Amino acid sequence: MIRDPHQQARELIALGSHGLKDTEQTWLRTHLNGCASCRDYTQAAEQLVRSLRSISISADLALVQTTKMRIRLHAQQLRQRQERQWLVWMSCILVGLSAAISTPLLWRGFEWLGEWARVSSPVWQVGFMVFWISPAIAASLIFLARGTHLTDTDRTSRR
Amino acid sequence: MNTAVCYFVDGMESETSAIARGLRRRDPDLLDRLIEQYQHRLLRYLVYLTSNRELAEDMFQETWIRVLERGHQYDPKYEFSTWLFSIARHLTVDYLRKKKPASLDGLLDEEEGVSLDPPDNRPSALELIAQHEQAEQISAALVGIAAEYREAIVLRFQEGLALDEIAAVTGAPLGTVKSRLYRGLNALLPRLKGAQA
Repeated sequence: MIRDPHQQARELIALGSHGLKDTEQTWLRTHLNGCASCRDYTQAAEQLVRSLRSISISADLALVQTTKMRIRLHAQQLRQRQERQWLVWMSCILVGLSAAISTPLLWRGFEWLGEWARVSSPVWQVGFMVFWISPAIAASLIFLARGTHLTDTDRTSRR
Repeated sequence: MNTAVCYFVDGMESETSAIARGLRRRDPDLLDRLIEQYQHRLLRYLVYLTSNRELAEDMFQETWIRVLERGHQYDPKYEFSTWLFSIARHLTVDYLRKKKPASLDGLLDEEEGVSLDPPDNRPSALELIAQHEQAEQISAALVGIAAEYREAIVLRFQEGLALDEIAAVTGAPLGTVKSRLYRGLNALLPRLKGAQA
């Protein structure tokens, strides 16, 4: 299919001179030399681009200052959140390590206590489970309560 | 000449790398500098994208907040302005999509130009901003064409972005960008001729 050369020329003009390959520029120049209507189109497009560049829309000083202030505040909040997360991760690692070390010792301790108190194995084993799991449950409750509190604060501050 | 090109490319890369490092650190001084440097370009793009100065100013602030939060995602292979405009565009499209079920892309299907003005009768922000007659005419003509075309024209001719950079900002294929520029110019020129007549 043969394309309309005028449309092709106008498509190239619309890309701007910096968006064209050398061959396209050469073709366009040749076409414009022989086509008055496309030359008019080019002039109108160039005039439009010049006018577009002459329009000044500038940001107010207040907007820029407010944005900078918000950015600094938000950066601080993000830093604090990151520090909190780091603290939580470190606590998790420490708790994990201490659990790995203390669990076998505790198990033996409860076993000894069970023998000393002359109770059956399931009894001291249930005792061990309760003792072992209760700090984790307490910590989860604290984290949950703290999490709810933080979410509420965030919502309030956004309002 | 090749040495000069290499020097230029290396210079650009080292600058974008410095920006990427600063953004990863969330360096507030760097962000202050970037806000200063890109304030007018970003706001101008947002004003034309939204056709609403107030909304553009809100999106301006949200864009910088997003830059702070997602700074680690910036790839120094690309110009910072391309990434910045892309963030601004995503935020604006998301906002408009939540506000009403239409995106900038959806507006392309419309035959007539549709502006993103809220449905009120006040003069648009662009009309208020225009300082002189010619600027007023161009602003009015720009508001009258489809948002996708307006965006392509502003990015190309006002912000001076390359075609592939516009494609990166808008997420559209290069062919679509070229077609938007052509159609945009075709939609804009008769409006300006009509205004000047």
